[in-house]
Amino acid sequence: MSLISIDHVTKSFGNVEVLRDFSAEFRDGEFITLLGPSGCGKTTILRIIAGFEKPSSGEVRIDGRTVSSPGVFVPPEERGIGMVFQSYAVWPHMNVFNNVAYPLRIRNTPQAELRRRVEEILEAVHLDGYAERMPAQLSGGQQQRVALGRALVAESKLLLLDEPLSNLDAKLRESMRYEIKEIQKKLGITVVFVTHDRLEAMTMSDRVFILNGGVIQQTGSPIDIYRHPVNPFVANFMGEVNFLRGKAGGGKITLADTDCSLPYSGPLSGDVVVAIRPENLRLTAEGRLRGKLTAMFYLGEASDCRVDAGGASLRVSAEAGTWDRLRIGDTVGLDFESFLAYPAEEALP
Amino acid sequence: MPKKHYFDIKWLFILAIAAFLAVFQVFPLIYLVLRAFHVDGRLSLEGVKRIYTYAMNWSCLKNTILTAGLAMVFGTALAVPLAWLTGRTNLYGRSFFRFLFVTTYMVPPYVGAMAWLRLLNPNVGTLNVLLKNLLGLEQTPFNIYSIGGLVWVLTTFYFPYAFITISRAMEKMDPSLEEASRISGASPLRTLFTVTLPLMLPSIVAAALLVFVAASSCYGIPSIIGAPGQIYTVTTRIMDYVSVGSQQGLTDAANLAVFLMAISLAVLYFSKFVVGKRDYITVSGKSTQPSLVDLGRWRVPITVLTGLFALLVIILPFLTVFTTSVTVNLGKSVFAPDNFSLKFWHTALTRKSILGSAKNSLLSAVLAASIGMLICLVMAYLLKRTSVRGREIPDFFITVGSGTPSVVIALALIMTMSGRFGINIYNTMAIMVVAYMIKYMLMGMRTVVSAFSQVSPSLEEAAQISGAGWLRRMRDVLFPLIVPSIVAGWFLIFMPCFYELTMSNLLYSTNTKTLGVELFTYQTYHSQQTASALAGGILLLVVAVNLALDRLTKGKFSI
Repeated sequence: MSLISIDHVTKSFGNVEVLRDFSAEFRDGEFITLLGPSGCGKTTILRIIAGFEKPSSGEVRIDGRTVSSPGVFVPPEERGIGMVFQSYAVWPHMNVFNNVAYPLRIRNTPQAELRRRVEEILEAVHLDGYAERMPAQLSGGQQQRVALGRALVAESKLLLLDEPLSNLDAKLRESMRYEIKEIQKKLGITVVFVTHDRLEAMTMSDRVFILNGGVIQQTGSPIDIYRHPVNPFVANFMGEVNFLRGKAGGGKITLADTDCSLPYSGPLSGDVVVAIRPENLRLTAEGRLRGKLTAMFYLGEASDCRVDAGGASLRVSAEAGTWDRLRIGDTVGLDFESFLAYPAEEALP
Repeated sequence: MPKKHYFDIKWLFILAIAAFLAVFQVFPLIYLVLRAFHVDGRLSLEGVKRIYTYAMNWSCLKNTILTAGLAMVFGTALAVPLAWLTGRTNLYGRSFFRFLFVTTYMVPPYVGAMAWLRLLNPNVGTLNVLLKNLLGLEQTPFNIYSIGGLVWVLTTFYFPYAFITISRAMEKMDPSLEEASRISGASPLRTLFTVTLPLMLPSIVAAALLVFVAASSCYGIPSIIGAPGQIYTVTTRIMDYVSVGSQQGLTDAANLAVFLMAISLAVLYFSKFVVGKRDYITVSGKSTQPSLVDLGRWRVPITVLTGLFALLVIILPFLTVFTTSVTVNLGKSVFAPDNFSLKFWHTALTRKSILGSAKNSLLSAVLAASIGMLICLVMAYLLKRTSVRGREIPDFFITVGSGTPSVVIALALIMTMSGRFGINIYNTMAIMVVAYMIKYMLMGMRTVVSAFSQVSPSLEEAAQISGAGWLRRMRDVLFPLIVPSIVAGWFLIFMPCFYELTMSNLLYSTNTKTLGVELFTYQTYHSQQTASALAGGILLLVVAVNLALDRLTKGKFSI
């Protein structure tokens, strides 16, 4: 059953159209990520679901109830949603307990029950013992947990997260990713998560919506999108990728300005763009595509190499030992493990 | 069947207050303008022609523009270095000086006029006599009853307007802009002239225009200093026309008032849309403290100079007010035998009529500040937190109201609120409260708007998504967060209303006499000493309120 249905929603601010005919269904208990560069409209969708923005046209239903349509608008306070803001929005004049207890107070929850619920939630977000602290005495990560606790305390079926991890340092971000996912699984709630970080999207989501310019580019599981991006934009946004121009025909693609060709059985013919991820390129002495090693960075678990070949600077993720084997300036060969081809007229990101 | 429409109570508040502003502020001012161009109910320039055929009126216009213009030039010339010295250098006692100049802003200008009258009276002025004896002159060197005297008092009492505006702009400037100049090899002085001042130029121009508008619409100073010297300005002339009381008198007054209003609004427009567009002061996160310029070997001499300036312009006049209030015979020194007395203070603090007026002032100022703050809060919310088309219109009218000279506001209210259009609040306290609000609400509005900009909208949204309705959100989240600004804004409206003179003088009735009117009457007709005692009391109150405000807002309240 779908918890949220968004039907042909369009949103403009003045003359700027930020969402164009957006439709999506989010199912009960799903972890949905809206992923895209800044300005792609992902935050606008979240704010439309929350009720902070009215769509210019279209309809939004939550749990079968129409909350936004021409003629109907349910304000945010009547929607019964939990939300974590990018800036956390922890009220600086209330202590941790009162921040978290607020939604229950609005719902006139009896005192004893309120206390029990808040304590439960504080424990769940690992803030037990911090109830009396003021927000100014908390670290960024702790404030983030307060915001999360406040969003969860009223047991809404739906939790909205607006780039909640972007202000945290790398280590904390990783552990919060895990914790949010755990809480979601435990409570069985639906989460709509907005981010521009593809690692967050890949590690947490059941389904990812990739957006650009107010339009959905692709929907699917993270693995599916990573392996089968529908266009160069998605390929680039979901991870590192190299692009090369070529010509398809006769069961192969011949790379431009080289005598190297790749076996190809797809439907395209004529000018194409070939996309290859760095980990799908192999550095070998006899590789089909010849090039020159121009830079090499030792990353510990791998060596990140740049190879000038086929008129482009290609990024190659090579095994760590490459560092000891090759020198900058060496002539190398490249083998392709797998690649994707797009029509040449597809805009390159 | 689920509810289809949700009524949001905030619109009720916003509409009610917008309607209030329209009736009591926009309508009277528009009516005044229309009236000036109507004779016998027809559109005509006759009235305008008549008024400008009098040579007397031309001399008023000339005097107003000349004195306000000079006060603007001198006031800005004083304010720029003072703002820089107290804000950006290691001047000794910089926060003390800052406090002193800001306090002067809150002192009623007529108190300055009273003090300088005592100091520079051509025959018996204390400072005049002292200088004459000290330098062995034939005559006293200064005459306060002159254009020069008027300019001097206007300058000393209006330069704080420029000072506060420029200081705030200096505080807001991103210090890294100056640091970039220093790291490029420029000296502190060179940085000042090539980076700081050019960046500050829009604020300096805005500050200068503010001084011009304030000085040109001032009534207290020209009436106390100009009138004895037969120097009339537009404001005193309007007051004369009104006191004639005839319809013709009112029309003539309206004509002059429109002239004054036109100047103010033109200046306001220029300042907001021409200068404002070029304002590149960026508000940085306030995390970095601007680095202070080391004055080096000039530190002591400049501090002494600043101290002397403060002594002459602030401390001396204030002291004069206090000595006047305890001197029996003003012809002699307060230290002469039997010449010291507290009886004037006794009068000021016990006389029934004065206490009655004080009560009126207190009540009307409290009402104006409270209703005014409510309006400011709702209108600031409209401006900052909604996306309604035309949300900046109330803010615009509040700004226009404040830029309109006091005499003009009073005149417009007299013409429209005495029953002619179904509302009669003439001769009541209500008309004064309305006048005060029109003139002084802007201070509250600025304070609240800047507080709103510092509170992230997501704090309110978090309460909304938690289920809180508008009133609940206001009470639980927004209000507690901006309470210091609300208190500061309240006092910024309350103070000038409490001792207001010009509008009260035109609007009071026997039952609603205010402290300002009382003081003015004593100064002009009865006893300068009692007037000084009253002024002394007001001064003490101003200092006390200022100290409190300073604490409350950590020295950063705006005008």
